[in-house]
Amino acid sequence: MLSSWLGRKKLLIGLALILMMTGLLGPAWAEEVRSTRYRYGAREVSTGYYEEYEVKPILYLPGGPLMRKGIPLESAPTEPIRWRTYLTDTHLGIRDYKRHHDCTDCHPQQGRDRHTVRAGITCDQCHGREPISGINHYWSPLSPIRRHAYICAKCHEGASVSYAEYAVHEPIPAMLSTRQTFPFLFFAFWMMATVAGGTFVVFLPHTALWGIRELLIMKKDRAESESKQQD
Amino acid sequence: MSPNSKTRIRRFSPLQRLFHLLLILCFMTQATTGLARMYIETVWGQRLAWVFGGYTPSRTIHIYVGIFMLCIFALHVLYMLSKVNWRKFPGSLVGPDSMLPQPRDLKESIQHFGWLLGMAKAPRFERWGYWEKFDYIGVCWGMCLLGATGLLLAYPLVASRIMPGWGLNVAFWVHKIEAILAMGHVFIIHFFIAHLRPHAFPMDRAMFEGSVDLAATQHEKPDWVARLEETGKLESVLVPEAPGWRRAFHYVFGYCAVALGIFLLIVALVNSLSITW
Ligand code: HEM
Repeated sequence: MLSSWLGRKKLLIGLALILMMTGLLGPAWAEEVRSTRYRYGAREVSTGYYEEYEVKPILYLPGGPLMRKGIPLESAPTEPIRWRTYLTDTHLGIRDYKRHHDCTDCHPQQGRDRHTVRAGITCDQCHGREPISGINHYWSPLSPIRRHAYICAKCHEGASVSYAEYAVHEPIPAMLSTRQTFPFLFFAFWMMATVAGGTFVVFLPHTALWGIRELLIMKKDRAESESKQQD
Repeated sequence: MSPNSKTRIRRFSPLQRLFHLLLILCFMTQATTGLARMYIETVWGQRLAWVFGGYTPSRTIHIYVGIFMLCIFALHVLYMLSKVNWRKFPGSLVGPDSMLPQPRDLKESIQHFGWLLGMAKAPRFERWGYWEKFDYIGVCWGMCLLGATGLLLAYPLVASRIMPGWGLNVAFWVHKIEAILAMGHVFIIHFFIAHLRPHAFPMDRAMFEGSVDLAATQHEKPDWVARLEETGKLESVLVPEAPGWRRAFHYVFGYCAVALGIFLLIVALVNSLSITW
């Protein structure tokens, strides 16, 4: 009785071990998940944010990695409404919101970038459809933790977290407000503009004066030679 | 005067002229394809891009010609290094045949400005005038800046591994402003001083023929001719005029480049308010 029970127990343990091993090797569904992640991971060069992309982070720091690095990606006029970028519906409670048909009615500068103007990308291709979630909301496809994979990689295969830090809605570099929102761009622009402007300020009058001076000399030479011929 | 009489001074070697020719071809391609993309919102930009096969092919051509141009520049740097007299280094870096700026250039530029305003005598220039050195150093600076930012923009995925993605915003503006500076300088200042100002008109053929007219140089660069005479080298650097057919070809080629540059400049200026900056 005992021996047959022990024999059956061994059989059960054996069966359990076999089951565990097949589990380790992974059934078809497990393979699929692994291979999807493998293919994605192989193409993508990121800091590993994609590992946690479907869950709310345990410690949710408002602002996301970009803002914590001090590189805000919106132009100054959006600054007072930054908190809205964390809402599930970013336009929640805005009066007359439904009356506007075009996003650029209220966000004119956001329609003036190379993605919109040159590539013809529409707002909802990146921001999604109504209700449009704030770009920093942890469920938004534009949330910095998954923007590179969900949005950028649609066209730029292999986009990384760093790549997604490109400011699609770039502020106007010459504006004083850009000094606060994107100082690198502001100073680079003005340094280059000073070099270019300086070169033209010196060399354009220099070139014009040179031409005028030589014309005057030629005129004088011609007059002198004519008067010599008359003599 | 017989066609074989030696009335010109050799100024550039065949290799130096080849570098310049390749630079003209690459620069013009870069300017045209770059402007085609920059002005793609306008009908003019779309027509310009059409010449190269469209918006995307314009970028491909811009990148490959850009990389080719950078390779030529790298070869030029090696050539430049091979020309330095390393035994007498660093003293050999200064002197009348050197392209490096020297205190004399500052003095001459101030005096030249005085002459332009009719307030001073014309300076007695040596082989290289200060504006020629500025042009040469400007090209080197432009190559480094346009090349570095251009490569970052051409390979943004790789670039964003070595810098944050927003660096591409900065690179783009640096590239654009430097390109505008380069095109503006070449199409207005360089073309006017080298070809269109009264004493150089109809064309300074130095870079095509490799030589300059002796009489005109005695007037414009008297210290260079005087040095060649004093050191007894003048005879050895005198060369005859190029044959007529070659001169005709130089005129046609040179004026095509000038016309293309001025055309790009004018239409770009006219359309400048129609694009999203
Ligand atoms: C004489 C040199 C050059 C000139 C005049 C020039 C000019 C320009 C211009 C006008 C633009 C357009 C900016 C815009 O779209 O608003 C541009 C963009 C660009 N250039 Fe250049 N460039 C030069 C050299 C280079 C080099 C050496 C490279 C690198 C290989 C390069 C790569 C690029 C790239 C990748 C873009 C962005 C194109 C786009 O996506 O729209 N460029 N350049």
